[in-house]
Amino acid sequence: MIIGILITLFFLAGIYFVAVLERWSLSGTMQWSSPVRSLLRLFIQEEIKPRKHDSIFFEAAPVFFIAVILLTISILPFGEGLVLIDLGTGALFINAALVYVMVCLLMAGWSVNGVYGMIGGWRALAQLIAYSMTVVMVLTATVMRAESMFLPDIIESQQSLWNILYQPIGFILFYLSAMAIAFLPPFDLPTAESELAGGVWADFTGIRKLLFRLGRLALILTLSVAVVVLYMGGWLGPWLPGYVWIFLKTLLVAASFFAVGRFVPRIRQDHLLEYHWKFGIPLALFNIFLVGGLLII
Amino acid sequence: MISIQLLLLIVLGLVAIWFGWRVFMTSSMVRSALSLMASMIAIGGLFLVMEAEFLGVLQIMMMGTEMSIMAIFMMMYMMDPGGLGEMDMSHQKNLSITGAVIISLLIGGATLIIDWGPIAVNIPGPHEQNRLLGLEILERSMMIFETAGFTILTGMIAAIAVALSVKNKRN
Repeated sequence: MIIGILITLFFLAGIYFVAVLERWSLSGTMQWSSPVRSLLRLFIQEEIKPRKHDSIFFEAAPVFFIAVILLTISILPFGEGLVLIDLGTGALFINAALVYVMVCLLMAGWSVNGVYGMIGGWRALAQLIAYSMTVVMVLTATVMRAESMFLPDIIESQQSLWNILYQPIGFILFYLSAMAIAFLPPFDLPTAESELAGGVWADFTGIRKLLFRLGRLALILTLSVAVVVLYMGGWLGPWLPGYVWIFLKTLLVAASFFAVGRFVPRIRQDHLLEYHWKFGIPLALFNIFLVGGLLII
Repeated sequence: MISIQLLLLIVLGLVAIWFGWRVFMTSSMVRSALSLMASMIAIGGLFLVMEAEFLGVLQIMMMGTEMSIMAIFMMMYMMDPGGLGEMDMSHQKNLSITGAVIISLLIGGATLIIDWGPIAVNIPGPHEQNRLLGLEILERSMMIFETAGFTILTGMIAAIAVALSVKNKRN
């Protein structure tokens, strides 16, 4: 019980930290009060509804967005035996839930009846379909090693050697795909500020925008946990308790996402898709082949 | 005595049918595609209720992607994708109603006539189910799955090759 509360507090702190880092990736300075200021501002901001918007999608998209991410959180292990729902197909479910991030962005982009939003939505569709293909292929390789789709079993399989060293190609692909799925810079095409003036989110204000922003922060943290669980040994580590290890590794991964984003320019849409379909998928297939070979040896 | 499982099964079945009906009752292409998606998710939920976890999760995952792709194609090819111009989605009403009634009766009759065998009592756990499914794919159904997998891989390579040629011409 106490550990549960502790982990919740850890992750709320983690979301705060991610929000500060997000600000840092844009401005280059650590502004510790900026998340509070943004929160208050979005609370009192006027709620503007575009003309002839699709009312069902407009109201549903932000709520679904955050709901999908909470679903993903519920199956991830935050420590030894500390998992809300221990699904027998946990590894597959990560991808199944993240696919609906794309659906929510599509709904959001379509609903506002605006050009920027719609282009952002279709961009999100192309990007997330491409990258969820890689995710499922590299997940297969981690599942092959663990011979189980239970996430705790995948962590236990890394007892001797973490997957980051055992299947480095898979790690790099999953890491980049995670960045693309969370549409972090340099893959922030659906919400590109300078091209689409905010893209998918451009016409959302007030509480709805707040839900999107909060959902994105939670999504980044969730994907960081997924990277830690699948590739960096999860709770494995000396001296400290398992949940502290997961938390520290998660923060490290989240910080590295933003560090990469800060120093790399935004990638072009056609390059993004080209690199993925021409190099990403063949490499992911090669990774499965390689891991299969290593497992037989 | 209706168990919670049976109750959920009935509710999800009705949800699937309701969203299936909504597909044709809206003029907005994206609403239509996403209604079909909701119907398919309800079917995924049916699998989950029937404790076929892998199939349920797979259904939910695949349909999210597939129906989104369908949404963009429907939007591209229809002359009134937003449904703002009084477009009617239904055609050949008498023929479709007759066809739907006949097929529904046939399927309904078939479900009553077929001997479904005894209801499974001991359902294997998710881990065991995954293993059994893997064995099934690599034993009896290997030919089917290999053919399907190979066809999809060929399709992917062909699609990438087609996308390449445009770029080469420009250079």
